[in-house]
Amino acid sequence: MISEIFNIQFFHPSIFYILGGLLIPVLRGKVKQGYMLTVSVLAFISVINMPLGNYGVYEFLSWKLTFGEVDKLSKVFAYIFTIMGIIGVIYSIHVKRDGEHFAAFYYVGGSLGVIFAGDFLSLFLFWEMMAFSSVFLVWFRKSPSSVDSGFRYLLWHVAGGLILLAGIILQYSVSGDLSIQYLPFHGWWPTDLQSLASYLIIIGFIVNAAVPPLGAWLPDAYPAATVTGAVFMSAFTTKTAVYALIRVSAGSEMLIILGVIMAIYGVVYAVLENDARRLLAYHIISQVGYMVAGVGLGTQMAINGVVAHAFCHILYKSLLFMGTGSVLYVTGTAKLTKLGGLYKTMPRTMIYTIIGGLSISAFPLFSGFVSKSITVAAFGEAHLTWAFLALMLASAGTFLHTGLKIPYFIWFGKDQGIKAKEPPWNMELAMVICSLFCIGLGIFYKPLYALLPYPLHFEPYTAYHTWETLQVLLFTQLGFFLLLKKLWCKDTISVDTDWFPRKGVKVFMRFTKPLANLEYKFIGEIYEYIIQKPIMGVAKIFKTIDTVIVDGAFNGLGQLTLALSRKMQKTQSGQIQHYAMLMVAGFIALVIFVMVLS
Amino acid sequence: MKLLKLIETIKTKVTKKLAYGILVLLIVFDLIIPRHEVHFFGDKIPGFWSVFGFIACVLIIIVSKWIGRIGLMQDENYYDK
Repeated sequence: MISEIFNIQFFHPSIFYILGGLLIPVLRGKVKQGYMLTVSVLAFISVINMPLGNYGVYEFLSWKLTFGEVDKLSKVFAYIFTIMGIIGVIYSIHVKRDGEHFAAFYYVGGSLGVIFAGDFLSLFLFWEMMAFSSVFLVWFRKSPSSVDSGFRYLLWHVAGGLILLAGIILQYSVSGDLSIQYLPFHGWWPTDLQSLASYLIIIGFIVNAAVPPLGAWLPDAYPAATVTGAVFMSAFTTKTAVYALIRVSAGSEMLIILGVIMAIYGVVYAVLENDARRLLAYHIISQVGYMVAGVGLGTQMAINGVVAHAFCHILYKSLLFMGTGSVLYVTGTAKLTKLGGLYKTMPRTMIYTIIGGLSISAFPLFSGFVSKSITVAAFGEAHLTWAFLALMLASAGTFLHTGLKIPYFIWFGKDQGIKAKEPPWNMELAMVICSLFCIGLGIFYKPLYALLPYPLHFEPYTAYHTWETLQVLLFTQLGFFLLLKKLWCKDTISVDTDWFPRKGVKVFMRFTKPLANLEYKFIGEIYEYIIQKPIMGVAKIFKTIDTVIVDGAFNGLGQLTLALSRKMQKTQSGQIQHYAMLMVAGFIALVIFVMVLS
Repeated sequence: MKLLKLIETIKTKVTKKLAYGILVLLIVFDLIIPRHEVHFFGDKIPGFWSVFGFIACVLIIIVSKWIGRIGLMQDENYYDK
């Protein structure tokens, strides 16, 4: 078994991140930076060399755990995760705090573990590892609000994880099999135990995919995270959830409706949002909506579209988070009301961010165009016209916010005279790499299509499709400039579904005072007569036993020890020769003792 | 700073006229573009996606702002109160 995991062919990429992370606190300066980069590159190389098949199978108690199930689907996700690992390390390499690197490494390692897990138990293990490491990327921001956001983030994920675990246990008790298998769910409510199991598993997954109303943790935590932490977070959690949904729940019809709602939901919130990074977080929800809807459709073409879209999405969304993160890093704020006119001081960052914006908006020649088109076309071919039109509407909204609103209000808009400069070289390098990927994938899309799990015959650059997209996007732009006055932000936040745990819970607090009175006056009295008094009586007896017998024994022991140590005191002369003599005597005694025994 | 000059050139009013020109061209060419992938009725109407894009944008802004006004948008320290 050991030889299997250390097999040259299959080297689990998580091992690099999980074991490699341990050395981070030991190393310093340039050595540490080089080391982190090397580890992330090695993980990528291990994915390239990985043959398809099952590896790392262990018998644990009566269960069979599979840590390395490699097929085309898991491999394409592993590619993008390890590429993102390298880019993320470059972007964050200047960060001094070891804990942040450590958390990021375990987060990436956890997500790779989920991708290759062949059974639900190891999936769950890595699933939780992701939640508990990524929360530190929020906490390390170290502001009071980010500490709060981190706790809420953890609560959501622990709740989701427990629902997932319940589903897994139920699935095991129904089928006696822990291996990850295809368990689609049909309809809206479970009817028997098997469907309840797949239902609970789906809910566990869609909490991490940030499907409303269970997705409020995402726009809460991501903008609260550190500059570099948000870049990592934008890439991994939701996409591992999409991966898990493809594996287990593809073709579950409820996901089509939830996905389309998500795509539009994110767009609506983005109109109201003032914090640039929270706006982007809402657009993650919107983009993941395309993926969730595609998973729900479940045809080969739709799944191909989902995987391609996840691949491109990780690159352009992290690019956008890097761009706005750089603005936050340099100016100290990401609020659109406080920014403006930065094109004079940060023009290069602006260009990278616009490239990210054009990619997410699926502009021809950018990566989003070649990936989003597949999913949307799959809906067109399936003649689900309502979903098709809703997704096109969300596309317009995406361009409106990420392609136009963010660049306009940060780099143009009202010049606030902020003193700024371009970010450090490593942050810029990471943005350059991402930009090249976004443009490169938009033009040379064939290698990406070849990586997809199913064979794909799709040509994104047909005259009509290109023209259709250009019309939607450029007329959205016209609308943006005509309604520009309406789009100026205010210093507000928008209430999301986490209103219920955060504010709604205060309704219950109103009952606490009468309840406390009741407790004190009524229950307290009863408690005193029925429980407290008898207990006190018994306690009195015990106390007597305690003083007389137990204390007596202890006091006796104490006096004995005191007498002994007074005798011992005399041997402690403080002179080295006495000690040496005692040691020799002791050694001889030991030798004799051993000889007698043998 | 060549980049800065380039950006300031793009910012002038000429770009605005150019942009309107492109919009007109988009609709004109849509009359003659070959249509292979007809998924639903809208694909047969010339200029459908131009109108769709514009209406989508206006709808998203107005409806979202309205939803925001009726209670979604709150003061920044709303949760601390």
